[in-house]
Amino acid sequence: MDIYLPIAEMSVNVLTMVGLGVLVGFVSGLFGVGGGFLMAPVLVSLGIPPSVAVASQAGHVLATSTSSVMSYSQSDSVDYRMGAVMAAGGVVGAIIGVEIFRILRLLGQIDLVVSVAYLLVLGSIGGMMLNESLSAMLRRRKGESPPRPKVKRPVWIYGLPFKMRFPRSGLYISFIPPAAIGLLVGILSAMMGVGGGFLIVPAMIYILRMKASVVVGTSLFQIIITTLVTMILQAVRNHSVDMILALILLAGGVVGGQAGIRMASRFRADELRAIMAVIILMAGLQMGLSLFVPPQDPFVLVPTGQQ
Amino acid sequence: MVAVLPPAIPPAIVQALPEAAPSSNILSTDLTQNRIEVSSSFQGAKVVVYGAVVESRDQPSDVVVVVSGPKASMRLIRKVQVAGLWLNSRPVVFEGAPGFYMAASSQPLDRITGFSNRRRLGLGVDYIAMDTPRDTKVVTRYGVRDVVVNSLEDDYLEWRQAVTRLKQKSSLYSDNPFGVRFVDRNLFRAEIDLPSDAPIGTYKAEVWLFRDGEPVSYSAKLLRVEKVGFERFIYDTAHRRPWMYGIVSALICIGLGLGASRIFQRR
Repeated sequence: MDIYLPIAEMSVNVLTMVGLGVLVGFVSGLFGVGGGFLMAPVLVSLGIPPSVAVASQAGHVLATSTSSVMSYSQSDSVDYRMGAVMAAGGVVGAIIGVEIFRILRLLGQIDLVVSVAYLLVLGSIGGMMLNESLSAMLRRRKGESPPRPKVKRPVWIYGLPFKMRFPRSGLYISFIPPAAIGLLVGILSAMMGVGGGFLIVPAMIYILRMKASVVVGTSLFQIIITTLVTMILQAVRNHSVDMILALILLAGGVVGGQAGIRMASRFRADELRAIMAVIILMAGLQMGLSLFVPPQDPFVLVPTGQQ
Repeated sequence: MVAVLPPAIPPAIVQALPEAAPSSNILSTDLTQNRIEVSSSFQGAKVVVYGAVVESRDQPSDVVVVVSGPKASMRLIRKVQVAGLWLNSRPVVFEGAPGFYMAASSQPLDRITGFSNRRRLGLGVDYIAMDTPRDTKVVTRYGVRDVVVNSLEDDYLEWRQAVTRLKQKSSLYSDNPFGVRFVDRNLFRAEIDLPSDAPIGTYKAEVWLFRDGEPVSYSAKLLRVEKVGFERFIYDTAHRRPWMYGIVSALICIGLGLGASRIFQRR
């Protein structure tokens, strides 16, 4: 069964797209990430123009994150205040990111930058997570007690002014670090077409050292706000949101997302992190290696800028 | 609703016609459809160009059918290996190239007419008219500075061929050397296959009649490819009211996410 997409101006198979939505939704429910870093490369490889893929999957990320955050908020695990501060930075970052994306696309360098970003960002985060979670699993096997968590955050974080209380996260820190993390992730996420959960979650754990129970819910909350702004900006600036594509993807996505959330409780946290680390590493390597593979045809037609 | 070009002879052909006066139009053509509706079930379309050579002589004649889609600018980049990495060159903009092109003929074009006619009339994928200036021009485009419009010089042909090669690969450009069939003595037909990603807009179906290697008659018809119904509504809204479209789309997505979580929680 095929359907014609009005903005992408091509027809796609509905079942393939719903299946992709289910799969990515499942991953995002399981790990509490948006899943965009998996979906964008698949959509592009199916022939959908990159700008349309990036803008339309925002709808899918929005829906799955909303349905997931509802499940988390009922168990009181969303720090709305922390989420709002990070989202404020994220919105500014998204505006900058959408502009950078537009300029790089017109210069024909967007896929280079995206590939390098995937390789560096996903590669380093995936590697760090894998290392950390594997050593945690090893220790558990040997029956050793986990090392005492280093409560120390980087000292400079305490030196910053404008301190705020974040009771749910158990923090009393300046709002500058979370806002700066939000800004950075916002730029990267608008350019890479991802929600940024895989960046936010480690940042919350390793830099801000928030209470583990609120990390996933809060990151989803901030992803919703940043993605909302990204999607509207892409619609206004690039006219590249294909609502039909978004609806097909999210139909599968919400189902997969709920299944993922249910499945999440069956795994240990470090096992989940190890699996996610492998997925992130693979996505990063797959995109990055394309830089080293000789192209089939040295020439490539790139989409024109919309006039 | 249906625009039909007057059966006039395009300027390029006027001096090419030998002694025949423009009034002696001996070619009569039409399309099986002059409007193609692109709805959600659109998977490409097939249109037949048919026609008759009115003046019946026993002289053999050749027919060339050229269908070209709406013009659009295209950007082409070349992958260059730098220190082991495959990087993109600066994009080169080709303007005025058709988004779709098909040349069907009753026999291979090089047997029908010479190089100069093919080139002047734009017959065949290799002779598609593209308004690409040969001289170097660095301009500001879409707010981006230093975009190279054309500084290809000697490489020009190679880049041009790359455009047609890539378009042929996605079956948007094609040469069909035996695509025009004479079904009866003076009655001919040619099929146009539009893929599902054919551009939206107005297409032009041109038919040339050749005798002894010279064009003697010409006819042109327009073909509209339009989005209809829901597809059209979405496309129009996205372009005319982008703010509303973006906000409503985002709200629908959030709403569906909320709805889904409700449903799943009740279970």
